[in-house]
Amino acid sequence: MIEKKRTDETNEFVSQDVRKIGYIVGGGLQENLKARLIVSASQVQEGSFVMIPSGNWVYYGLVTNIQLGATDPRFADEESELRLPSDLASWLHGQTLYTNLEILPVLMLERGPAPETAEYQTWAQEIEDRSRSEPHLMPVKTIPPHHADVYLAGEGEIAEIFGKPTREENFVLGYTREGEHPVCLDLDRFVQRSAGIFGATGSGKSFLTRIILAGLIQRNRASLLVFDMHNEYGFDDIASDSGSKVSGLRTLFQTRVRVVGLGAGNTIRGAAPDFNLEIAMKDICAVDIELLSAELNLKETTSTTLEALVSSFGVENWYNEFREMENGAMMETEDGKKVPAPQSVAAWANRAGVNVMAAEGLHSKMSPLFHRNYILENPASDSINEIVTMLQQGQHVVLSFGDYDRDLDYLFVTNLLTRRIREVWEAQTNQYRTKKSNEPRPLVIVVEEAHKLLNRQMASQTTFNTIAREMRKYYVTLLIVDQRPSQIYDEVMSQLGTRISGWLGDDDDIRAVLAGLAGRETLRGMLTHLQPKEEVLLLGWGVPMPIPIRSRRYDQRFWEDLKEGKAGLQSEKQTISDLGF
Amino acid sequence: MNQIQIGRLLSATTRQLVVGCQVSQIDLPAIGSLVRINPQVDYAIYGLVYDLYIADDGLVRQLATVGEMDEKVIADHRLNRSVPIEIRVLSVGYKMAGQIYHLLPPKPPLGLEILWLCSDEEIVEFTNSGRYGYLRHILREQDVAVEEVLAAHIKLADNAHRQKGEADWSHKAVQEVIVLLRDDYAALTRVLQSLADSQIFS
Repeated sequence: MIEKKRTDETNEFVSQDVRKIGYIVGGGLQENLKARLIVSASQVQEGSFVMIPSGNWVYYGLVTNIQLGATDPRFADEESELRLPSDLASWLHGQTLYTNLEILPVLMLERGPAPETAEYQTWAQEIEDRSRSEPHLMPVKTIPPHHADVYLAGEGEIAEIFGKPTREENFVLGYTREGEHPVCLDLDRFVQRSAGIFGATGSGKSFLTRIILAGLIQRNRASLLVFDMHNEYGFDDIASDSGSKVSGLRTLFQTRVRVVGLGAGNTIRGAAPDFNLEIAMKDICAVDIELLSAELNLKETTSTTLEALVSSFGVENWYNEFREMENGAMMETEDGKKVPAPQSVAAWANRAGVNVMAAEGLHSKMSPLFHRNYILENPASDSINEIVTMLQQGQHVVLSFGDYDRDLDYLFVTNLLTRRIREVWEAQTNQYRTKKSNEPRPLVIVVEEAHKLLNRQMASQTTFNTIAREMRKYYVTLLIVDQRPSQIYDEVMSQLGTRISGWLGDDDDIRAVLAGLAGRETLRGMLTHLQPKEEVLLLGWGVPMPIPIRSRRYDQRFWEDLKEGKAGLQSEKQTISDLGF
Repeated sequence: MNQIQIGRLLSATTRQLVVGCQVSQIDLPAIGSLVRINPQVDYAIYGLVYDLYIADDGLVRQLATVGEMDEKVIADHRLNRSVPIEIRVLSVGYKMAGQIYHLLPPKPPLGLEILWLCSDEEIVEFTNSGRYGYLRHILREQDVAVEEVLAAHIKLADNAHRQKGEADWSHKAVQEVIVLLRDDYAALTRVLQSLADSQIFS
């Protein structure tokens, strides 16, 4: 195995000469490496992936800055080509004007002594004998020496670091900007921890999310629950900028994706969903109301009132009972005195020892919820359970909110549904660990406009915070899609494994995306210089090292590539089998 | 090899040589020319002519005050002057046991050694030896019109190399000059301007 690896590397070195771009002239681990560029600056871009073979190691890094320099600034100031013959001017510029690269060293890989030497044989033998560990990528811990050659990485090196596109778990997310080499995302790693997709409006977040979701579905790596606040992912859509048709996941994957509409009769972009989500009143807990404090402008007394309601009517009946109460209903006693009617909120408050005004205020503020027709006393079916079952069986669910596009509906429904999912997956994981039952199916919950659920005020109350922090162990992770990462609670951001960011203009947002990452000051420049569209920076745990890429386009070609992929589409037979038939 | 004698050594240090010659010889060397002295059979010192000096011999002052002067008197003064014309040479290397070194000669030649003008073959042999190390002997001189000597030398040497089919010698030489002087903007600018004026380059 070692011999083959060495052969591969040797072959790589044959092709390296044509890609040599410079040599190391200084720098260090803290302030990045400096390299003198020996090719035209136009052949290298910020973010270019470079390799520096030196001694027994190969170093991998990113170009983070390209800087013009001169041995004396006067050589740069003066347009000597106007005073000297062109040959002389050209030679002068070649020796006195130069371009330096700053390289962020990220990874290093041991390649051993030169092949065909006794030292190499010893080194290989030690690996065979397991007295030396197998060469593997590791964070950079030392630096190459002066004058070590710097090469622009080719397709082979990209595949060495980011994985070969032919492997089942690797999904081509885009291509390097200067070489058009495919860059893969390891989907297995991607779903193991929560992830985030960020970018300013119009930077292509939704398209990138569709691409990743399509990859996860096609490669069958996890079940997906998409909270589709803007009804973008299920059915076909029209691109806002180009006006072209954008296929929805339901169209592409047919029965493997189920579109669920919120509330009976709700249509999504004029199309009927596969079924509708109706929430039973008994499923609503007090905490579901408390997290709507900001939306409903609830007061501090809400918790006390809700506790009293649950205490009076029980966990399953409190909502319905409270809803049935008449706010402000009065009756006249025999002596002509007006008192709260028995069915009124005030009468219950008096009986329960709760402040009447607080109870009446809560009833009044919950009025928008009371009139939501997706909340029923006795729904025709337990549609939350249906969704959970589908996800357990490997199907994917896009929950479209249709006409219920207020934050109130989004917050309420997502939290309630996620709470149920958390309970089920925790229970299943515990069973798997204790009784060796079936391993839970990995689940990714896709949350759009995540800052509404995971901001500093809300994060501690919603289930999403718990999922981001703890549910990795229970096979549930989040995929956060947002344009304002700075609004998301720091603790949640710090839990994100993979971060994929398009162009961001706001300093706070950039800082939030890079929080907790090594070399963030260097990466900041890279993030601000991304093209406003179709360029993204891959960061974090899910990728071996940060890299800016030109993302794939979500178009017919993408779909054809998916169909031609090694994994191929899941057959109908497999789908039926997954569904348990 | 067709040997051209220029004059005889008047004084020397390891860095510089002063050679005296007659007026009849003065047409031969030009600034920038590569010249040679052979103190011993297997030892040659190479130098570059950097200055020519015609000293006042006492009589010339008196003659200069005369109004109309006979052409014969002028010719007689030039040919029969008692003070030789001085050719000043920078030592730039030496050859010993067949090996050329771009270093200062280990010892200076003795008086009255003959100065020879190098042929094109010798110029090519000397300048192709090593990596232009002899240029540093020119560049470090303070009291020499370095840029003029350099431009004249490169032009002469380029011509010799072109005779041998080496068209890019001057390119490499100028590259080396630029490398050696790139930390001295003023000096490099003067040298390049002189090279531009020499019209070697397009």
